[in-house]
Amino acid sequence: MVLDAFQKRRERQMLTLLLPALIPLAILTIYPALYAVYLSMTNEALTGVAAAKPRFVGAANYFRLFSDGRFWNSLFVTFVFVVGSAIIGQFVLGFISAVALRRKVYGSSVFGAAILLPNAAPEVVAGFMWISMLAGGDHATLSKIMIALGLPWVDWLNTFPLFMVTMVNTWRGIGTAMILLTAGLSAVPSEVYEAARMDGANPRQMFLRITLPLMAPTIFLYMLISTVSTISVFGMVYALTRGGPGNRTEVISVYIYNQSFTAFQLGYGAAGAVVALLVSLVLGITYVRSLKVNV
Amino acid sequence: MNRFIAGGLVAIAVSLLAGTANAETLRVALHGQAGIDAFTPTAERIEKALGVDVEIVEYPAPDKDYMTKLLTELAAGNGPDLFSIPSAADVADMVAAGYLAPVGAELAAWPPYADFVDVAKQLAVSPDGETYVMPYILGIQQIYFRRDLLDKAGISTEQPKNWADLLARAKEIKEKTGAYGLLFPAGTSWGGGAFDEGFSHLIIGSSTPQLVGDDGKFDLSGKGVLDVFQFYKDLIDNDLMPVEPLLGPEPWVIPKYEMFPKGELAATTCGSWCYIFDWGRESKNPIPDVTNVVGTWADPGQESGEFVLAGLGAAWAVNAKTANLDIAKKALLETGSVDNQIETASRIGNIPSSNAVQADPRFQALTELVPIQAAANHGTYLKQATGMSVVSEGVARATEALLRKETDAAGAQQILIDHVRQTLGDEAIK
Repeated sequence: MVLDAFQKRRERQMLTLLLPALIPLAILTIYPALYAVYLSMTNEALTGVAAAKPRFVGAANYFRLFSDGRFWNSLFVTFVFVVGSAIIGQFVLGFISAVALRRKVYGSSVFGAAILLPNAAPEVVAGFMWISMLAGGDHATLSKIMIALGLPWVDWLNTFPLFMVTMVNTWRGIGTAMILLTAGLSAVPSEVYEAARMDGANPRQMFLRITLPLMAPTIFLYMLISTVSTISVFGMVYALTRGGPGNRTEVISVYIYNQSFTAFQLGYGAAGAVVALLVSLVLGITYVRSLKVNV
Repeated sequence: MNRFIAGGLVAIAVSLLAGTANAETLRVALHGQAGIDAFTPTAERIEKALGVDVEIVEYPAPDKDYMTKLLTELAAGNGPDLFSIPSAADVADMVAAGYLAPVGAELAAWPPYADFVDVAKQLAVSPDGETYVMPYILGIQQIYFRRDLLDKAGISTEQPKNWADLLARAKEIKEKTGAYGLLFPAGTSWGGGAFDEGFSHLIIGSSTPQLVGDDGKFDLSGKGVLDVFQFYKDLIDNDLMPVEPLLGPEPWVIPKYEMFPKGELAATTCGSWCYIFDWGRESKNPIPDVTNVVGTWADPGQESGEFVLAGLGAAWAVNAKTANLDIAKKALLETGSVDNQIETASRIGNIPSSNAVQADPRFQALTELVPIQAAANHGTYLKQATGMSVVSEGVARATEALLRKETDAAGAQQILIDHVRQTLGDEAIK
């Protein structure tokens, strides 16, 4: 296609307008991602000989990664964490909250504020707050409640670590889900519901035949955002359990951190980061392509 | 107008200069309030003696997080001028990375260094023959046991003769008191402690007591390594050591600060600092009359012998890339002063390296530490080599697998070997 002078000028103008966004994107996102790919093919480390003289090792880090049971464990833990907290927990509870808030009932604004409150606390602070509630011993909040009820206390974070981490992340993410899904619900025209009611549709039919189909783009956009952002959750899990006990909550982000900054193997950690990036990319593309959502 | 602006700029410059009393600022990395409290008088002495400002920067605790931040900054070229290194296993690797400035000449020319015990000087020498750290305090480690608990149950408090005797003692404790019999730190959460405070106690008394050969290569396939992991497995399989707390994020808290003071754990490896910091006067959960209630055993050898494990205690080092190299090296010498050794000993409980402290009444007042300092010269230690921090991490991973009952002793040894080989390459290992 041959562009005329006007179109060329227009393209240049558009590019100029995009530059303020493209330059930071290139410097802060694309360059680090490409550097991570390069780093993953070296034995770069934070200490030892490899820190002073890193060398190119080709795909050795990837071969090692795929033969590391702890890496596969972290992928499995991440899968459970994402499905449990983002897809089931946050979505279901966020959707229920969004639907409930549409109804003008007494106390709904207080309910909405309460749901949003967890987002006000930084994730590490939230993590430590939950430790104080879930820890074992006589002094933890939940233990005190158990003891008051005549029950023995439970060290929740050691006994049910992945479930607890999933629950806390669900608690933190309901607000975001609720806001997004409320916006989606608001976009459904009320006339459609009125017409359905006149045709004799019951609430269940209206939900399944009107709300869900019309909400699909919003739901899958939310799924895309929450899946990718949950894969990268680090601070809260690290604050809560540091990936323990015994790697049972070592999600991929914590695994990458542990390899890079506690075992000090930057190259190997970068290989894990590249794989995590690819997983996120594949998931994102799958969501967008299969549902034809315009992002 | 120009005069007005110039006058303003001069006023700003004067006020900025007046804000700092000295031309140079020495940035010192420390972590933990006890360490900062111990170092503060030394910082004041450095300021007075060298005419510099000392900025103490509090780094994250525990040791693992401290090292992460420190190494990241050193790698980025913006590390502190002066810093301490919690684990001796990290020193050789930091030397290999080019982070540490050599200080051998300065120490040799510094008269008080002659009073340092030989073991401290030997520990300070890196594999390349140069000295990069000030070995001002030592970690002297043994097995600490609840004498009161054992006496009450009629269990012998005599020095165990060998590993079998130690294991039998732990079993007897469990049977007669219900308390866990013995703790060796293990697992990845404990960081360097799994190696420094656990594995090292046993390997020095094993049939292959050193991990590094004369050629500087690691020999991890020795029978001693296998036997050490088997000892761990026996402790775990017989429920003689608390496993679940070791898998948590701060694994030392429950066993050392809660179970041992309560008498739910009867024996654990520890250093002299336990008498002051963990269970003594600086503890949040002190054991009354701790030196009588808590006794010590030397580490028994696998077949026979007694070993007292000596290691560098948070040795000070100078950043090789500091802009204030001369001043930082002079400040390093001040960290080796008798005053700093005693102040650190009284706050943290490590053992001063200088024999000169024995003549100091302030040290004589630390009655828990005096006999241990006198015995420091008989300490045994592991030979260091580049890559030792990788071995330390490998031991943590191997013992973690044992804690989780995912492998046996041979499997744990293989995890260690594989980790070191994959990280350092085939050429680093025999």
